[in-house]
Amino acid sequence: MIQTLLWVLVATLLWVVAWTRRSSNARHSLLLLGSYVFYAGWGIGFLAVLVASSLLNYACGLALRRKPTLVRLWVGVGLNVLLLGLFKYLPPALSSGSGFLGHIVMPVGMSFWTFQGLSYLFDLYREEELDPSLLEFCLYMAFWPTVLAGPVCRLPNMLPQFRRAPVWDRDDISTGFSRIVLGVFMKIVLAQLLGAGLTRGAGVAAGFDQTRGGWGGLDVWLLAVGFGFQLFFDFAGYSHMVIGIARVFGIRLEENFDRPYFSLTPSVFWTRWHMSLSFWIRDYVFLPLAAMRREVWWPYVVFVLSMTLFGLWHAAKLTFILWGVYHGLLLVVHRVGQKLKRRISVPWADPVRGLLSWCATFSLVSLGWIFFRATDAGQAAVMLRAVVTPSQYGHSVLPGDSYVVVCLVVIAYFAYHGVVAILAAAKARYGEEVAGDAGAFGTASKMTTFGAATIVAVKALDFFGERLWWWAAPTIAVLMVSIGAAILRHNAAISVTPFMYTVF
Amino acid sequence: MNGDKRAQQVQQIIDYLVREVVGRSEVRISADMPLVSSGLIDSMALVNILLKLEDVTHMRIPAGKVQPKDMDTVDLMFATAQRVGKPRK
Repeated sequence: MIQTLLWVLVATLLWVVAWTRRSSNARHSLLLLGSYVFYAGWGIGFLAVLVASSLLNYACGLALRRKPTLVRLWVGVGLNVLLLGLFKYLPPALSSGSGFLGHIVMPVGMSFWTFQGLSYLFDLYREEELDPSLLEFCLYMAFWPTVLAGPVCRLPNMLPQFRRAPVWDRDDISTGFSRIVLGVFMKIVLAQLLGAGLTRGAGVAAGFDQTRGGWGGLDVWLLAVGFGFQLFFDFAGYSHMVIGIARVFGIRLEENFDRPYFSLTPSVFWTRWHMSLSFWIRDYVFLPLAAMRREVWWPYVVFVLSMTLFGLWHAAKLTFILWGVYHGLLLVVHRVGQKLKRRISVPWADPVRGLLSWCATFSLVSLGWIFFRATDAGQAAVMLRAVVTPSQYGHSVLPGDSYVVVCLVVIAYFAYHGVVAILAAAKARYGEEVAGDAGAFGTASKMTTFGAATIVAVKALDFFGERLWWWAAPTIAVLMVSIGAAILRHNAAISVTPFMYTVF
Repeated sequence: MNGDKRAQQVQQIIDYLVREVVGRSEVRISADMPLVSSGLIDSMALVNILLKLEDVTHMRIPAGKVQPKDMDTVDLMFATAQRVGKPRK
């Protein structure tokens, strides 16, 4: 942990110095040096692979810039897949672990930056006007905030920002730090709380890893929902931190999450969860493949293929493949359902339909996390069997603490967003009164007591919203200390776990 | 290209969007209205629109050369067809 912070500090210092340089070459060189120093902290061998991949993609890019043919594109794609396969997919396949190949370790973040390299090649094939220098391209591949676990960036978004003269913008710095703090809170407090629990063996991780099995139906639901939120807080927290760090330096990265658990359909969920990868798959895999044939069934096949690739991207493991196929099938069922809905009129009111749709999407997405988290397909099968067997709902193997923590965190999350939505609606409705100089009390006589009270509440929230650091910093500090103390008091052997997505 | 013919083609695509994609006749779609970035059309609809665009323009549009951002408005769809499309044999 200390070592990681040290590398972050060195990279940040180099970046701060870089931002004072007027010459773009000097600035880019220092930014790249900072990124390489940071990445070398995980292993000098990893850095060598990253540099090799950058040079390879840049060379393929030069060839595509001269003539964007399909053959040149496939040569580039093939070389990337070969490199990724060598480090990511081949070693686990050689299960004996003997020989040179059996000892290969995948460089951290390789799946992310390989996909960045691939998107560059696809964009050049599409004849997008991209002319990065070698320095700029290497910086794009190694950009230190994103090099470990994304978001998967695109060069058309990054290149103009690299080339822009550096400015320190107060709004960027403030927003950046807010997002870093939010990310730390989501990771260190919420994800940690769900994963490890308050007491030994009460967390989601222990619930999945316990070897005695025998989960009850409710246990499995709890673990599925709990893990879904743990992963969300972990990865969305990481994404907030990374996007925040880049924002401090005035660079705006792709967003990765947009309240995914509020999605009303599986297809909307995939526009809100791990968006940078999801959109990558949509743009470079689904769309070209789906438009290849005109048969009605073909796009459905491509849905399943694309989502299987999504699963396989994580690791060459049967459980991830099953997770991808499961989501592909969900998307197909949703599309078929949409077609049927146009023919059959459903008599229910919109809010009822919306609620049912949300319940179905949330439940099915949550069940899918069992494939994602299970140790193997056998465990996933046992857990899913418990869900569909009524007699399994009569007992539970998880401690009561697990139920309390998961339920509290999940309810608090939805309640928080609910309150925010209600206030936003109130602000939209009473916007003029809130903005008016006369204030709430001047117009109160003309409206209901509820309306006047809402205006006062919105005004108060605006006041504190503009002074976020007055209350957010001490609140988060107190919360973190309280939870830390609670964990320590129970003598739980808990350490902060690494970010989940850095293993992919 | 003849202006009237282009206007007809644009109207054909707009009619298709209203009828088949949005499915509500009261919705008004203009040629410069954002469709993908506004969330009005999703990935599946995008594929169908691309195929419809091929039919309307009588061109073969290689999907590998097209991205959702190239299809964000009806105007952009036709500009993309012009840029990457090849006459059908």
